[in-house]
Amino acid sequence: MKISIYIVLFLTSIGVNAQIDRSKQPKPGPSPKIALEVPNEFEMNNGMKVLVVENHKLPRVAYSLTIDNTPIKEGDKAGMSSLLGSMLGNGTLNIPKDKFNEEIDFLGANLNFRANGGSARALSKYSDRILELMADAAINPLLTEEEFQKEKDKLIEGLKTQEKSVDAVARRVGGALSYGTHHPKGEFVSEKTVNNVTLNNVRLYYEKYFNPNKAYLVIIGDVDLKTIKKQVKKHFGKWEKSIAISATVPEAQPNEQYTQINFVDMPNAVQSNISLTNNVDLKMGDADYHSVLIANKILGGGFNSYLNMNLREEHGYTYGARSRVGADKYKSRFTAGASVRNAVTDSAVVQTLKEINRIKNEDVTEEALKNAKAKYVGDFVLALERPQTVARYALNIKLNDLPDDFYTTYLEKINNVSKEDVKRVANKYFKTENARIVVVGKGSDVLSNLEKTGIPIKYYDPYANKTEKPSYDIEIPSDVNVASVLNAYIAAIGGRAKLDNVNSVLMLAEAELQPGMVLNLEMKKTVKNQFMQEMKAMGNSMSKQVLDGDAGYSVVQGQKKDMNEDQIKKVKAESSPFPEVNYLSQNVTLEKIEAIDGENAYKIKISDELSIFYSVETGLKIKEAKAVGQNTSSIFYTDYKEVAGVKFPFKLKQTMGPRSFDFLVKEIKVNEGVADADFK
Amino acid sequence: MKKHLFSLTFLVLAGVAVSAQEVKFEEFDLDNGMHVILHQDNSAPVVTTSVMYNVGGKDGDRSRTGFAHFFEHLLFEGTENIERGEWFTIVSSNGGSNNANTSQDRTYYYEVFPSNNLELGLWMESERLMHPIINQIGVDTQNEVVKEEKRLRYDNAPYGAILASITENLFEVHPYKDKNIGEMEHLDAATLEEFRAYFKKYYVPNNAVLVVAGDIDIANAKKLAKDYFAPIPRGADVVRNFPKEKPITETKKAKAYDTNIQVPAIIAAYRTPGFKERDAYILDMISSYLSGGKSSVLYKKLVDEQKQALAVQAVNVGQMDYNVFALFALPLGDIPLATLLAEMDEEVLKMQEELISERDFQKLQNQFENQFVNSNSSVSGIANSLARYYMLYDDINLINNEIDIYRSVTREEIQAVAKKYLNKNQRLELEYLPVEKKDK
Repeated sequence: MKISIYIVLFLTSIGVNAQIDRSKQPKPGPSPKIALEVPNEFEMNNGMKVLVVENHKLPRVAYSLTIDNTPIKEGDKAGMSSLLGSMLGNGTLNIPKDKFNEEIDFLGANLNFRANGGSARALSKYSDRILELMADAAINPLLTEEEFQKEKDKLIEGLKTQEKSVDAVARRVGGALSYGTHHPKGEFVSEKTVNNVTLNNVRLYYEKYFNPNKAYLVIIGDVDLKTIKKQVKKHFGKWEKSIAISATVPEAQPNEQYTQINFVDMPNAVQSNISLTNNVDLKMGDADYHSVLIANKILGGGFNSYLNMNLREEHGYTYGARSRVGADKYKSRFTAGASVRNAVTDSAVVQTLKEINRIKNEDVTEEALKNAKAKYVGDFVLALERPQTVARYALNIKLNDLPDDFYTTYLEKINNVSKEDVKRVANKYFKTENARIVVVGKGSDVLSNLEKTGIPIKYYDPYANKTEKPSYDIEIPSDVNVASVLNAYIAAIGGRAKLDNVNSVLMLAEAELQPGMVLNLEMKKTVKNQFMQEMKAMGNSMSKQVLDGDAGYSVVQGQKKDMNEDQIKKVKAESSPFPEVNYLSQNVTLEKIEAIDGENAYKIKISDELSIFYSVETGLKIKEAKAVGQNTSSIFYTDYKEVAGVKFPFKLKQTMGPRSFDFLVKEIKVNEGVADADFK
Repeated sequence: MKKHLFSLTFLVLAGVAVSAQEVKFEEFDLDNGMHVILHQDNSAPVVTTSVMYNVGGKDGDRSRTGFAHFFEHLLFEGTENIERGEWFTIVSSNGGSNNANTSQDRTYYYEVFPSNNLELGLWMESERLMHPIINQIGVDTQNEVVKEEKRLRYDNAPYGAILASITENLFEVHPYKDKNIGEMEHLDAATLEEFRAYFKKYYVPNNAVLVVAGDIDIANAKKLAKDYFAPIPRGADVVRNFPKEKPITETKKAKAYDTNIQVPAIIAAYRTPGFKERDAYILDMISSYLSGGKSSVLYKKLVDEQKQALAVQAVNVGQMDYNVFALFALPLGDIPLATLLAEMDEEVLKMQEELISERDFQKLQNQFENQFVNSNSSVSGIANSLARYYMLYDDINLINNEIDIYRSVTREEIQAVAKKYLNKNQRLELEYLPVEKKDK
């Protein structure tokens, strides 16, 4: 009973080689013959359409329900649909929740719902029962206050898990800015909107939108048409048709007048998420559709696309760069971008624009065009292995009002795309003159370089609200300079007179790496260019550095090495108990004010490797950042306490990449416990 | 009469359906020690060619971690007959798809093509093994790409470092303690010579299995496999001798921090037998019992009834030498992590003290039967399973009879295994925390 349509493949085919010559790429054999099956179809009295694809390869069945509503705006109650989706499929008016869920699991089956549909999978021996449970859950849901509260709490907590996710913020802001938050595709769920939703809202939403009028049930698997038809009628026949609702979708935000960067600051980001985007009007039925697919494939639709070959293979900026174009009845977006490390954010933006402009201005090569087409043909063939494909095609034809021959002529239309078509549609749909380049990343690392691209920048918070430019470049007051910052620090820890009385300092600190695993740190400094620092783990020396005047050495895991001149110079600069006193007469520079964990601090650059941060408010030293190879090692100083009239930090948090250790100071001694012999 | 005919047809179809579940295959060795597995399925014009190498993150020098994964990048850079940058173009311009992945235990490469490109797939995989170009340009480019992959997957993703945080605390001497993606300093320090030596040691035909599956003619596929792979010379045998872990006898406690999260997580992780062992199969069933589906004990209690957790999961991460069995929960609201852990422990304790119910036991059997039916649903999935069972489980027939192991497990065994492995003093308790706010 299979209805199949044979399709001509547009693959070049040449005879098979008899003998192998591995220096040449083997030629393909004759094109395989492919057949596109057409699903069986029937319509119920309540308007639900049913598509059935019989496939007996494995003893299993999958049901999928889709309700083709126009996009629904939820406004200040965004979250209604999400809550409805999570409440559906948890019991029915006929079967209590626990019993319902237990039976699904007992059958080894799966059942899931969304606000506009659902799906179920099971072994075919349970096909009737799982369909019955699915129908009951759809028609007679159990929407109780208790479940509502629970799902609401979970939804809010779930939002929190994504709050610091750079990618989640990029998705949200990209949609919100592109479509506008007034548009169903641009609005988003937040804690505030979820809190506005009541159980009654969810019930009304269900009544209004969860109806068979525009529903499609797709059945794939080891079923027979006649039996399944009876079963569907029995279980879904009770679903009552409702009055038709006509909803108009608001106009999406128009594209921008000029291309701009829309920046969102995320201080925790180690990669920037870059996404160039503009809205497009493109439907699957449009004459341009196939040309756009090919243009996007060449630009960013695969590994060997313009974008990926440039950003990943040529420059190593990213794990992968891609572009996408949506095709939709209501409005969709073109996006192009990548996640790249902070340091190359600006370069990646520039290269992304360059590649998009390339496909707009230069003809693609015959070869690139041929390869892109071949990939579509291949994907089409490969997809045939999955029985879902036939069902998806049939459903797409209905949902997108496509002609019946859409898929049987698909490869032919792909094959007819010319290089002129590619250039034309690239100019029509990839709007490099009117695009938003949404960049979500760590502003303090990436912004100054982004500014150098010359592209205007607008700033947004993680919820797509306009904000001011982030303020880590706080203006330094005119009466502040290097000397005043250093003197403020000296005053804050006790004053010059007290410091001058200090000839030596001994510090003992320890950090617990994990319970039972303790690191001990011992440090001695004198005013005579003497310095000793030793790190021990469980009593064993891990590393030791010693400086005595103009000579020094280090021992790392038992291996002793003398310091070279350069190293001696660096250690010497830090060997003084209070190096700030020396910095006053050295060539150090006040760079800027930067927020350190929310506390503003003056950043003083001591050398190319070392910068120190002093609190604007208290004058105290709160952070030291040292470049170690490609990484930065930082020490955060807190918990200052007085010893011999001078304040010392009693907590030192050291970070290196994702690792961090808290050293707690156990003892500080001033002018005692240090002898010259310690530096031998 | 007509009706009868129809139902007869249906019966025949049903009969086909049951037997179609059995995966048929042929296997043989090439003279160079390479094992070849063929599986024919002509229902769609699609063919998969794949090679699994017995080399993973756990192999090699511990001051050069991440090599296995690095090679998974490097070996797309080109060969003596495939120019640099051409690999992906050749695949896609012939309508194919390809990818590769690396675990601690093995590295797997595959292509899926329309079936008229079988020979192309075999040519490419044989080129990769026979004479890839390993040079500084390739190493430098892929070094940057791998670093971006690490940032993407571990450093910039909420909960991205969770598995690495578990294994670095759970293992002390076995190389499973190291990140599969490796330490970036190790990759930076590695020389070209070291990469070449690693290739020579592990990328040899006698350390690999080739699978050809899908719309093929067996005789032709056999001939092509020989034509392309037989000329590759055999290498030295790979010898492994990993240090054994001492059993954990006292609870280990650790903390890890993630800048990308707001909601903390609690994990209890146990070092359990590797995936070949019968006990590992039983622990699979225990993880399903605890958190598979809405009626599972942990989901029902913590998420549904007591509303203490946003999510809860018991997982049995399969590895060759040791599995990692882990309980994982995210708290809802202000519920302390210790409370979540105690609640999970209570359910584990019940499993140790009483048999699970007959009904729950039958539910487990049904769930594993369902999983088994679905496990062989695509040709590329079958190819991967054949390679895995042959190379890592030493029993290729598991593709058809692994389900028998689950079927043979009793309720008493489930209890005994829970008792044997899931004790508090045998585990790591890991608090996975958001980075602390500024000190008060």
